[in-house]
Amino acid sequence: MGTKDKVFQHSWLRPFATLAFVIVLATVFSPRDGGSPIFWRADNLANVLRQISDIGILAMGMTLVIISGGIDLSVGSLLALSCTIFAYCFTTFQAGYAAILGVALALGATSAFGLAAGAVITRLRMQPFIVTLAVMIGSRGLAKWLVGNATIAIGYDVRTKPVVDFIGQKAFVVPTFLMVTLVALILLNGTRFGRYLMAVGGSEDSARLSGINVTWVKIRVYLLSGLVAGIAGVLYCCETHQGDPKAGMAYELDAIAAAVIGGTSLAGGKGGIFGTIVGALALGILSNVLGLNSVDENVQWMLKAVIILVAVWLQLLGKKKTT
Amino acid sequence: MTIANGERGFLRFAIRCGAVVLCVVCAVGCGQKSAPGPESKASKTEGPATPAKKEFKIAFSQCNSAEPYRTAQNNIMKRDIAKYPDCELFIQDAQQDNAKQIAQIENYIQQKVDVLIVAPNEAAPITEPVKRAKEKGIKVVCLERNLLEPVYDIFVGADNVKIGEMAGQFVAEYVKSKGIQNPVVVEMKGLLGTKPQEERHNGARKFIDQISNVKVIEDVANWIQNEALKRMETILQANPHIDVVYAHNDPMAVGCYWAAKNAGREKEMIFVGVDGLGGPDGGIKRVLEGTLACTFYYPTCAAEGLECAVKLAHGEQVPKEMILEPARITKDNAQEWYNKVTVQ
Repeated sequence: MGTKDKVFQHSWLRPFATLAFVIVLATVFSPRDGGSPIFWRADNLANVLRQISDIGILAMGMTLVIISGGIDLSVGSLLALSCTIFAYCFTTFQAGYAAILGVALALGATSAFGLAAGAVITRLRMQPFIVTLAVMIGSRGLAKWLVGNATIAIGYDVRTKPVVDFIGQKAFVVPTFLMVTLVALILLNGTRFGRYLMAVGGSEDSARLSGINVTWVKIRVYLLSGLVAGIAGVLYCCETHQGDPKAGMAYELDAIAAAVIGGTSLAGGKGGIFGTIVGALALGILSNVLGLNSVDENVQWMLKAVIILVAVWLQLLGKKKTT
Repeated sequence: MTIANGERGFLRFAIRCGAVVLCVVCAVGCGQKSAPGPESKASKTEGPATPAKKEFKIAFSQCNSAEPYRTAQNNIMKRDIAKYPDCELFIQDAQQDNAKQIAQIENYIQQKVDVLIVAPNEAAPITEPVKRAKEKGIKVVCLERNLLEPVYDIFVGADNVKIGEMAGQFVAEYVKSKGIQNPVVVEMKGLLGTKPQEERHNGARKFIDQISNVKVIEDVANWIQNEALKRMETILQANPHIDVVYAHNDPMAVGCYWAAKNAGREKEMIFVGVDGLGGPDGGIKRVLEGTLACTFYYPTCAAEGLECAVKLAHGEQVPKEMILEPARITKDNAQEWYNKVTVQ
């Protein structure tokens, strides 16, 4: 086997080809300000990172779920639920610990939904698509019902402003995203849970036969997905200064897109965190550069579709038909 | 597996990569050129021989172009930018997504536009990024929906409470002039939790609730014609007689009309809407046709907003606030208003 070819056999390396393309394109097509591309300005790069953080965080949970052979459609709605609960608690309770209580309740609620979804999927043997679809609809309803469809403005009075400004700033959002990524990376590649996850996704029956507690692995993965959706929700709330039950519409699809661009297979058992970072970055950079060029939003959607297909197609190449 | 096989795999990979780069280059290239196209073309019609130098960039961050009212804003701006040959206009649509609008404003800051016209999707999320734009020295025109803090150079808007009051007065006058005893009024509301909905409701109810023995039936149709139709069907079933339907926008009023017509009861009641947009699908046309008894012109603020933006670009002074007057449009003055506000 040629050495050149070996390079493309490394699964974690393949997604970077996609990223390299997008970055080259971004540089070429970025509008210029006095010769230097606006895209490469530190401000702008920080903007890109912040803009992908919410989806990126959701995508980390999504990647783990997809590797386990499932799917989680509820993350967008859970983001909204967390966003709403946090804002509601923080503005309703006056005590000094209101913010902490808000975060705890928000993360608790989304984790509980994740746990419930996982339990139903494994114990009642229902398909993940259907169960998480139900959670998506139900938790959105709950979020809207809690606040009567209203949105709660937050962070404009002396009490809430410092906390909201702190959590909502780039310097907090982006590191949180990186932390979640790091934890996901370690979980997947450095723990027994990660190895079990790969095994369950690869073949559930073999995993079960080799003594892995498949039920518990799966429940944990949906719980994690719910938890990170909760984290993303609190960040979203502070970034937008609003508890909004309509937030995060269709975010689950962007999270899935980021994961699949990064080479995670919907069939389960294959994928990685690096790939998902690349996927999220590729989507973020694309919409940033198109935005800088004032390209119509709908054209951006069409290009996104092309990028998804092409990225996945490119990844089929490094693979050999070994059988 | 042989080496030859591997090499061929690599070659195929390289070829596919090349093809992809080519395609994306073309696609982005096209997108890039077409983006400011309509605007710059429009401005060139002013002086075809010598296209003026675009000295100022004016960016419009629109919250949701899908609403007819906002499409009208976009069209008016695209039309009017031709009057200002030294200005270039960019329009981006946030499609009702706060996060998207924040990203767009951040992009405009990076592009160093001269003036930002913003129609905020919602006040709380959009205040911060607009504040940042202002801090970077970008002049800001806030259009129609207000922010939480006055971080703009000028607010151009209209008064929804007043428009509600005018509608309420119209309903009260109608009931009185017809001498209706025990009148039944349907109020079809817009999306709950939005400011125009609250204000159009509160304004109108100040007058409607004063009518003696009035019965008001409230329902919510989220600004959408089809939803109003379904809601109204139910209301028609439950109420043997209805006198007036007041909807918070024209499409909902039209939806109620269709429900009544399907039930053969459209003659029994009158329909009152709000917005008064021009064009063949706007509310004024519906008044001309007799579908609506009355609509209230809610100023689009677009022409005035753009004018202020141009003034700001040239360093001229503008007032901090400009509130435009609504108007009542009935059959008597509908043709005149139709001609006035329809954008070709």
